[in-house]
Amino acid sequence: MQQGGERVAIVTERAFPLQQPSKLRWLRIPEAYSIRIASLVVLAIVWQLASLAFTERYVPGPVSTFSALWDLATSGQLMKHFEVTMIRMLVSFALAMLVGMAIGTVMGLYRRAEQSLDLIVMVGLTIPGLCYIIVAFMWLGLNDRAAVLAIAWTTFPAIAINIWQGVKAIDQRLIDMARVFGASGWRRTVRVVIPQVLPYLMAAARFGLGIIWKVTVLVELLGRSDGIGYMLNYSFQMFNMADVFAWTIFFTIVMLAIELTILKPIERRMFLWRPEIRA
Amino acid sequence: MADIAVQGLSKVYQSRAHPDGLLALDNVDLAVADHEFVCLLGPSGCGKTTVLNVLSGLEQKYAGEVSVAGRLVSRRNGHSFRVGYVFQEPRLLPWLTVRGNIEFALESESIPGSEWRKRTDNWLNRVGLADFAESHPHELSGGMQQRTAIARAFAVDPEMLLMDEPFSGLDELTARTMRELLLALWLETRKTVIFVTHNCFEACFLADRIVVFSPRPGKIRKEVTVELARPRNYEDSRLFELSVSVTHYVTGKQAA
Repeated sequence: MQQGGERVAIVTERAFPLQQPSKLRWLRIPEAYSIRIASLVVLAIVWQLASLAFTERYVPGPVSTFSALWDLATSGQLMKHFEVTMIRMLVSFALAMLVGMAIGTVMGLYRRAEQSLDLIVMVGLTIPGLCYIIVAFMWLGLNDRAAVLAIAWTTFPAIAINIWQGVKAIDQRLIDMARVFGASGWRRTVRVVIPQVLPYLMAAARFGLGIIWKVTVLVELLGRSDGIGYMLNYSFQMFNMADVFAWTIFFTIVMLAIELTILKPIERRMFLWRPEIRA
Repeated sequence: MADIAVQGLSKVYQSRAHPDGLLALDNVDLAVADHEFVCLLGPSGCGKTTVLNVLSGLEQKYAGEVSVAGRLVSRRNGHSFRVGYVFQEPRLLPWLTVRGNIEFALESESIPGSEWRKRTDNWLNRVGLADFAESHPHELSGGMQQRTAIARAFAVDPEMLLMDEPFSGLDELTARTMRELLLALWLETRKTVIFVTHNCFEACFLADRIVVFSPRPGKIRKEVTVELARPRNYEDSRLFELSVSVTHYVTGKQAA
């Protein structure tokens, strides 16, 4: 074999020309981290300066924000409302994923379903979440059932669209390959079809969570008497800026934690083989 | 390994562009002996690939009878024999390593797991990819990906090997190396091979027998037995002359 020649070819004709050589990848990670940390430090300094410039009453500084957060935590309020919000989010997320995946899959598989549903899904995506929330509360009353339904309803079109694209992008040629080599229908589904859809599923979950974060607090503000959204509104009514900042910071930390400890690791494990995805 | 008999094979494709159906294959009879290397040669769209798809069980709606090793190819349950298929593109699963791709085929053909390692290493060695077993397809050149596909096809120890223009996507120098590699492997294993190509020179270099198809609807226009001794040489002038006359059969410039 002319291996020497082929090895040279590895460098020049890659299937994904955009990827970086792996050597650079390892050098880049610490650099990326240090830039991020530096940006956070700069943000904190700007925050402190703004607080000094506009007074603590309008812009509570980092110190008073975190001490307000500490008070909320020690009083037990933080955990109580956090728990309620998380449960609402998780239940609606599960519901939205289920409905979105079902509709997206059907749309990806059948042309008829695609033609009859694509406009509806698009419209569903464009209507503001606020409209769904108000309608759900008016129909079902100010209860958690309406809250969860409104959140899921706002979220599922984005999920459906991602799954729809993912199912459409399935490479039939790979399925044919598996069939020729005698793979059963089950094996073709599990080993050939699902791995192709996974990146889209991951994107759908990302999109879904992004929407759910925002809608859940809105729902709580409008129609519930607990949860982070309600507490934000309560602090607003009291004109307690430090508490508003504390809840916002807390929310941001939770979001980041979920991103870094759940989503990123799953993604990294799933797409280890793909050179272009980096932490 | 097995002999192949195709009798009265016709195929009509129904589509939006052709609501009345498009006749792709018209009453094709083809017999391939055990251990024989046959090339199906013809212009694009003459139904060569359809023959392979019928044999491999991918295509299930057709008229006529197809049997492999004396057993009729079932329309409903696919095939009961092992097929090695090399497509025009490598068709590797991008998330699996080279080894994983070959093992996927072995697993699909229900070959016991205890044999996977030995078989995979053996065939990767023979196609010159021993050092790349743990690489992913995107890390390989096009030629190396296609070699992986060839190793995969041989590794399942197929009763017939179907190849659909496997080298047409490669540059000519790589393609030449690959043809030589394929012939070396074939001389060792003597699998029954049906090799589809539109390249007359390639057909003459590889085949025991060339079956020339006419353009749509696909019909067998001419069969040519290649008498050249093996191993064959690219520089052989008889090979060149043969390819010229075969080209005339394909283009229809010379009465058959």
